[in-house]
Amino acid sequence: MKRKLLSVTLMIAMVACLFTGCSKNDGSSKTGSNNAGSKTSDQVTLTVWCWDPKFNCFAMDTAGEIYAKDHPNVKVEVIETAWNDIQTKLTTAVTGQSNTLPDIILMQDNALAKNIINYPDAFFDLTNSGIKFDQFASFKTALGTVNGKNYSVPFDNGAAITCYRTDILEQAGYTIDDFTNITWKEFIEKGKVVLEKTGKPLLSNQAGSPDLLMLMMQSAGAWVLDENGKPNFKDNAVLKEVIDTYVELEKSGVLVEVNDWDQYVSSINSTTVAGAMNGCWIIATVTSAADQSGLWGVTNIPKLSCAGATNYSSQGGSSWLVCANSKNKDVAADFLGATFGGSVELYETILPSSGALATYLPAGESAAYAKPQDFFRGDTIYLKITEYASKVPQVSYGVYNYEARDAIGTAITKIVAGTDYNTAISEAQKELEFQMGQ
Amino acid sequence: MTKAKIRYFFAYAFLILVSFISVFPLLWMLISATNTSLDVIRGKMSFGTALVDNFKQLVQTTQIGQALINSFRNAFVLTIMSLLVCSLAGYAFEIYHDKWKDGVMKLLLLSMMVPFAATMIPLFTWFGKMNLINTTAGFMLPSISTAFLIFLFRQSSRSFPYEIVEAARLEGMSEIRIFTRIFVPIMKPTYAAAITVTFMNAWNSYLWPLVILQDKKSQTMPILISNLISGYTINYGVLMLAVSISTLPTILIFFVLQKNFTEGITGAVK
Repeated sequence: MKRKLLSVTLMIAMVACLFTGCSKNDGSSKTGSNNAGSKTSDQVTLTVWCWDPKFNCFAMDTAGEIYAKDHPNVKVEVIETAWNDIQTKLTTAVTGQSNTLPDIILMQDNALAKNIINYPDAFFDLTNSGIKFDQFASFKTALGTVNGKNYSVPFDNGAAITCYRTDILEQAGYTIDDFTNITWKEFIEKGKVVLEKTGKPLLSNQAGSPDLLMLMMQSAGAWVLDENGKPNFKDNAVLKEVIDTYVELEKSGVLVEVNDWDQYVSSINSTTVAGAMNGCWIIATVTSAADQSGLWGVTNIPKLSCAGATNYSSQGGSSWLVCANSKNKDVAADFLGATFGGSVELYETILPSSGALATYLPAGESAAYAKPQDFFRGDTIYLKITEYASKVPQVSYGVYNYEARDAIGTAITKIVAGTDYNTAISEAQKELEFQMGQ
Repeated sequence: MTKAKIRYFFAYAFLILVSFISVFPLLWMLISATNTSLDVIRGKMSFGTALVDNFKQLVQTTQIGQALINSFRNAFVLTIMSLLVCSLAGYAFEIYHDKWKDGVMKLLLLSMMVPFAATMIPLFTWFGKMNLINTTAGFMLPSISTAFLIFLFRQSSRSFPYEIVEAARLEGMSEIRIFTRIFVPIMKPTYAAAITVTFMNAWNSYLWPLVILQDKKSQTMPILISNLISGYTINYGVLMLAVSISTLPTILIFFVLQKNFTEGITGAVK
């Protein structure tokens, strides 16, 4: 009997240990784990969710070090979290009314409006926080502005660029200048010559990916959702021109479709294609083939023929938001304003090693941005890109941006496969309206 | 060559081809772990010399040691607890008679049809109120009792000779002793199958640990791998090395318990 009693007691103790001993809950959730209170001397830890250790996490850590010089009581703790995971955790926390969000979140620009509109109480209004929003590229500030309130501090620059293998262009008798400030028609004509003389298409794109189409749309200041956030597919002349241009690119062989992102990266690094057109963050991919140093050049993108068309656009990019239920929101806002919104030193430090390009315009005047880049034949590409960013037309992405992009992606797959434009676009609009519950 | 030999030749050729196709992703993963990212992208299909560099980079840029410990602890504890609860439940469903038990079993089986994503937010809200976020208990509780494991043990218990239970009772053995001394040893293959399935599921679980274990030090291997993929530039060599390391424990468990797994899953009792 004693043995049985002992066994039962030991079993209960073991189970209790498993539950309590392994417990990691020290009673402090990430949000407000350190209450700043009113005293500035209180120790404050700002928790941040962002992705990519070499890029965003590095930038945030550097910002923390810069801010700590004047505010030694403030520490920044970066929790590396993939973007899709941030979205999942954000949705779960907000829907589950939990206070598990950190003090600061990095968010993809494409999802900014959706999250701010869907969860208006989740983010801190930064309008009167003292951050100088007029010192950022205006299209970036507009993305995080809802009902006249600024919710986001712009960070990662997504200004669109085209990278070309200059040696391949030269084989076809062209220079990088021949591809600067051109139209899509000229691009296709020259692309055909390059293909004929070198056997290399100019571009690659993931089949069914709407990225390139959206990039073209924004370059003309147009979008697939109207100002009320409703689908704007049918009778959208810009969309028609964009799709016609894409089909021509594909049919002419100037653009080659690949199956996935890995193949897209491979096509660039393996010189299957002679160029890459995307947000300027594609530079990190291009430069990863170190043996191609000195062979690449950078210029702007071609423009459409419609009214309002420009050679500038944006693809991707991200911004910082402060969570409304953070107990340190004022400190977080001050931190972002003093670093990402006010420190040229920060951008000068992160640019050389991470290639993180600012949309904070004064950073463009620093010496680091004017440094010639050997990989791009000594060109001052960072100055170029900062200038491109200031010329990107503003559009409103809207709440259903991702859904609209997906619908366009499906439509382009059908059109390339031979479906009539009007049929495919009508189906895409119906699909989006269904998802929007209309 | 006789007809039979030709048939064997084609059969073996087919089997070799299918085996190669099955093993190829694993082989490619191992080859890629020894190459640089650029070599992987360019499709190099032979072993390289970058394994040490990839390992150094993996250790420097991630907390792989902590993630391995976390994943192992979570999977180990969950497997033990799960086996304890589900084998008792499966045994009870078969050995004890109650007019409601079939109805309850059907309800349990129906619960398998509800995707976890649908119950995740209510669970998260509930666990938040119980202060279970960032705790191992919070991670384990939703998976300790699974309809699949209870069903597996119940089905296996069907071939368990009931006469032994009756004889043991006549001899004066307690119910707990009958379960631990007679049922558990006889049902070893089923336990082996359950260990394999539960350990693999716990090791690979992603969505629930992602939302419930939010502390920086709680990161598990699948989340670490997800972070490696989320960069603007992916180092495929480092990524494949992390995936290889993450795959090893599950491969090990599967090979050790392989024989029993096959028997257990078919409900065999020796």
